[in-house]
Amino acid sequence: MSIRGRKGVNMQSVQTSHLFSLAGVKPLEGLLRYRDHCLVATEKALAHCNQRRRVSPCSGEELKQWKKVGKFEYFRCEASGSLFLADLPEPDIWADLLREVSRYRDSSKTFHQEIRPSRAENVLKPKLTWIKNVLRLHNIQNASILEVVTPPSDLTPFLKKCNYFGEVLTVDESDLLKQETIRNHAFHTALLLESLDRIYDPKNLLQVTSQHLKKGGLIFVTALVSSGFDMMLLQEKNIYLFPPDRTNCFSRKGLEQLLEKSGFELLEVSTPGILDVEIVKAHLKQGASISLSTFERALLDAPEEVCNDFQAFLQKSELSSFARIVGRKK
Amino acid sequence: MRCLILGYGYMGRTRHQLLKGHSAVKAIGIFDPYIDPKKENIQQEYLNSPDIPWDAFDAVFVCTPNHVTAQYVIEGLKHCGNVFCEKPPGRNWEELCGIDEAASARPDHTLVFGFNHRLHPSVQTAKAFIGKGGLGEVLYMKGSYGKSGGSKYRESWRNHRATSGGGILLDQGIHMLDIFQFFLGPLQVVDAVLADLFWKCDVEDNAYVLLKSEKGQPAFLHSSATLWKHTFHFEIGCQDGYLTASGLLTKSGSYGREKLVIGRRQFEEEAFALGNPREEIIYFDRDESWQKEIDEFLQAVQEKRQATYGTLTEAKQVMALIRDVYQRTQRG
Ligand SMILES: NC(=O)c1ccc[n+]([C@@H]2O[C@H](COP(=O)([O-])OP(=O)(O)OC[C@H]3O[C@@H](n4cnc5c(N)ncnc54)[C@H](O)[C@@H]3O)[C@@H](O)[C@H]2O)c1
Repeated sequence: MSIRGRKGVNMQSVQTSHLFSLAGVKPLEGLLRYRDHCLVATEKALAHCNQRRRVSPCSGEELKQWKKVGKFEYFRCEASGSLFLADLPEPDIWADLLREVSRYRDSSKTFHQEIRPSRAENVLKPKLTWIKNVLRLHNIQNASILEVVTPPSDLTPFLKKCNYFGEVLTVDESDLLKQETIRNHAFHTALLLESLDRIYDPKNLLQVTSQHLKKGGLIFVTALVSSGFDMMLLQEKNIYLFPPDRTNCFSRKGLEQLLEKSGFELLEVSTPGILDVEIVKAHLKQGASISLSTFERALLDAPEEVCNDFQAFLQKSELSSFARIVGRKK
Repeated sequence: MRCLILGYGYMGRTRHQLLKGHSAVKAIGIFDPYIDPKKENIQQEYLNSPDIPWDAFDAVFVCTPNHVTAQYVIEGLKHCGNVFCEKPPGRNWEELCGIDEAASARPDHTLVFGFNHRLHPSVQTAKAFIGKGGLGEVLYMKGSYGKSGGSKYRESWRNHRATSGGGILLDQGIHMLDIFQFFLGPLQVVDAVLADLFWKCDVEDNAYVLLKSEKGQPAFLHSSATLWKHTFHFEIGCQDGYLTASGLLTKSGSYGREKLVIGRRQFEEEAFALGNPREEIIYFDRDESWQKEIDEFLQAVQEKRQATYGTLTEAKQVMALIRDVYQRTQRG
């Protein structure tokens, strides 16, 4: 009889003492300009949209009204707490939007260029280490990798250079969704790092990705989750929540439901986020009007050591807003 | 496959649950003269005769107290050829030699010993980090495994020398020795101290064992029946970092949440992090060790091969250590 914590999950939470600053990976100030660009571009893309989402991709239940992020209405899945952009975009228009935004992010016009070395060190390399460790643990050598992303991807060169994997194929997530055929249909591994956050049809993307995986193949998913501390505190005022990058903001539970429904057994569900507390502090510093309880304020005003301990608690308890999931195709 | 379970206590029930749900298992028989099948709700499977109908089964699970283990394993090998035996593999070295002989006489056998701890997620994950996994070669190991005994400690068959063959070292410590060997290969005993200062049952309630591997890597075990806080904890020091496993997923949860700390050596950033490196902690919530053992055993039987873990060789290596400890401390 296997002794289970939460149904099906093997490795639940991951706690890390690796620390880096918000400024080093996604500075709030720099983000605002990029965010404005995204909001304007999204508005254009949705100009002729007359369809709305009805049901939650996680629970299948009807979505309820939530709040507005700028001009954009978001719906909420009551069962899981996941959030979704209310307007349902045209697939082709959305694909173009994602590509345009991705190119813009890669250009010298945004902050992303300046912090490239720091992101490489603190975001990309740990992701690579994570993927390698999990593959090693599951005895998968020379793994072929399907990277599902809107190119260009910062991770691709790392995947190719590290001499650890077999074939590495990067595909445009919007193309994959349209079932455009790709050569190798049976990859060992698929990477959906923040893809599910931005794609207009996350459920379908998972299903199509699964078709390109071997039986027993692994899927790696990362996402910003609505069940994390900074998301729960800041809600619609969290400036990291905006379309198209966060068209969908699943809760941890919502992601689990979605993956399980798509035929994956969950091997790891963790939230090893490092920045929740710092993100809330940065919002307060910027003058965001957030109503906090006396306890929350005391916690955020506490010495750095206490804040670090609290962040560690969030990681351990799966309450950080950066989620990592590994699933195995059944 | 028709499976026979001998002994229907804690482990017998655990194996029964697993076998019931297994696709390779067609029939189950349970033999335990000391239980009431009605109470256990196993009337269908229960074998009421005083004799064991060995030939009606393809595989045997020995889940009894230690004094009958070797005898059952030998009979099982003779009649069915396929035996899964809970640890320890007999009360002592001599009994294991008897099993070895029976196994040699039946070359087509499958024989597995239930050293399930090495299949726990913290142990398996730790293994993946060793060597090319990023932490380099192992420099040393240190482990502590213990329980508090409890009010019925003195009454338990586990602490009657004639029934069990030894104390806490043979009961729990054997798992940690198996884990040491999983990481370090064959070991030899350098020194040992046994004590029986609290329970006074004439079997050790504490064992301290110093060992070394063929490459000279030291390992140190503390096995105890006086750890008032249930403890499962081991450390592996490596060239490029360290691993600390603690807590163990069990039914009672009394050993704490199973977790593994991974730390990496950081000479490179000495001024910043000397002696206080970055750590990552992985928490585990599902123990599949029992399931994995059963799956591997049944598959090995079907494929007419030896299993990949819990082998006779591993059992002999670990029992030789216990024999040596008892000899050294003259308690054998
Ligand atoms: N791998 C592990 O972690 C682990 C855990 C617990 C026990 N064990 C091992 O499993 C074995 C059984 O331990 P347990 O905890 O289930 O003990 P237990 O006392 O709960 O059960 C033993 C059962 O065997 C029965 N029995 C006694 N003599 C018998 C005989 N001659 N024929 C048939 N049945 C007989 C008893 O009536 C009892 O029901 C031991 O060897 C123990 O070391 C392993």
